[in-house]
Amino acid sequence: MNEGQDWIYSDTVKDHFMNPRNFLFGDESQFDFDAVGIVGNPICGDQMKMYIKVKDDKIEDVRWKTYGCASAIASTSALSELAKGKTLDKATQISAKDIDDYLGNLPKHKFHCSVLGHQALADAVKNYRAQK
Amino acid sequence: MVYLDYAATSPLLPEAIEAMHEAEQKYFANASALHTPGHLSMNKIEEARELLAKLINADPSEIIFTSGASESNNTVIRTFEGHKILTSPLEHHSIIEAARVLGGDEKPALYSYMLANNEIGEFLPIADVAKKAHKEGGFVHSDLTQVLGKLPIDVKALDLDYATFSAHKIGGPIGVGALYVKNGVPFKPLILGGNQEKKRRGTTYNTVGIIGFGAALKYLLDHKTWEIYDTRIRALRDELAKRILKEIPGSSLNTDLKNSLPNILNASFEAAEGESIQLYLDAEGIVVSTGSACASGDIKPSHVLMAKTGDAEVAHSSIRFSFGLDNTKEDIAKVMAVLPGTIDRLQKISTIERKTK
Repeated sequence: MNEGQDWIYSDTVKDHFMNPRNFLFGDESQFDFDAVGIVGNPICGDQMKMYIKVKDDKIEDVRWKTYGCASAIASTSALSELAKGKTLDKATQISAKDIDDYLGNLPKHKFHCSVLGHQALADAVKNYRAQK
Repeated sequence: MVYLDYAATSPLLPEAIEAMHEAEQKYFANASALHTPGHLSMNKIEEARELLAKLINADPSEIIFTSGASESNNTVIRTFEGHKILTSPLEHHSIIEAARVLGGDEKPALYSYMLANNEIGEFLPIADVAKKAHKEGGFVHSDLTQVLGKLPIDVKALDLDYATFSAHKIGGPIGVGALYVKNGVPFKPLILGGNQEKKRRGTTYNTVGIIGFGAALKYLLDHKTWEIYDTRIRALRDELAKRILKEIPGSSLNTDLKNSLPNILNASFEAAEGESIQLYLDAEGIVVSTGSACASGDIKPSHVLMAKTGDAEVAHSSIRFSFGLDNTKEDIAKVMAVLPGTIDRLQKISTIERKTK
């Protein structure tokens, strides 16, 4: 995997890992969100929280937090970029493969990490709809 | 680069590089052959054997060269196929996996306990194990891979029947190791089909690799490296431990500084995941390892840290710093210039609230 590169992950993965987009730094009161979704478990070494701000059925803005590995950080960062501006339906349709394509392929044994952010987002949308 | 992953593998010593380079040209012949080039190659192999024998207080006839520690471990475990094997929960996978597949269920015939663990450096009570095993008519094996060069070794004083060694942890090449087999104890070859190693291991001698191993062994003997580890390296390790605890909120040590190898420090950082810590440090040129599941391609975190702490989060958040003779005080300063900020950032984006200060 990634022959010819000096880093274990692709350049895009590295970029999103080193400079994650849209993460929630510190206390969650710093972001005015409408709903939050959570998935995973620290025992398994991966936990993800996704906060969404919704306007006119569209994801206006998004933040996330994670206790997770480089792939989890990069894939959630990528997802947050993909989800912004999409309708709730479209956002929940973003697949693990979409994220993997966007990042230029995660190592195979890391693919499951990219599912976590996606599930957290789906959970957030579900919670948003439930409270309406 | 600040390299702190010596317990995983060490860079080749210049002495080993030079010896192997010479060997590639001069000692290419099959060491089992009767002709002169073969005989000269065999002499170099025997030199390395004598060096290891001297270093661990064994007879050269009790040393078998192997492809590495995993083969040495497997050879011993397989010798006791069908018999009960007792091991500690801190053993290497090459012991645990082999013993699980092959162990029987009567009185233990083999006790396999490492003298010091590779992930946290902790010492195991091998003297007590040997005493108990021999009283009950069993045999004792110890994986001394992490200990070679770090402590003086005397296999007779330790009362061992078998001991495992590896070249690449002491500045020798990967792919070479050794097995100490006390004269007179049970032995079953793992690789059949040759008279090499007195019919104890088939396949053509890895002359170049063994010569590289020999050069590293000579370095240990000439420099009494265990004395340097006990003083200078221990001081570096302890300084890093002290600074981590003092300067990084939520940090804790998984290594007992008073009961461990002087070159290993394992620490956990609450709410920060190990692989992410490892890779952020890597991006800053600081090389360490982690017990997090994510880093190993496994689903489970380090079995050693799980056995010691019973806390998966501690295991997932663990980093091992392992020192070698090239490390300096400047390396500690470089680590501490980067590590606190890395941990702080990961804790701030973490879903887990830090409980401790």
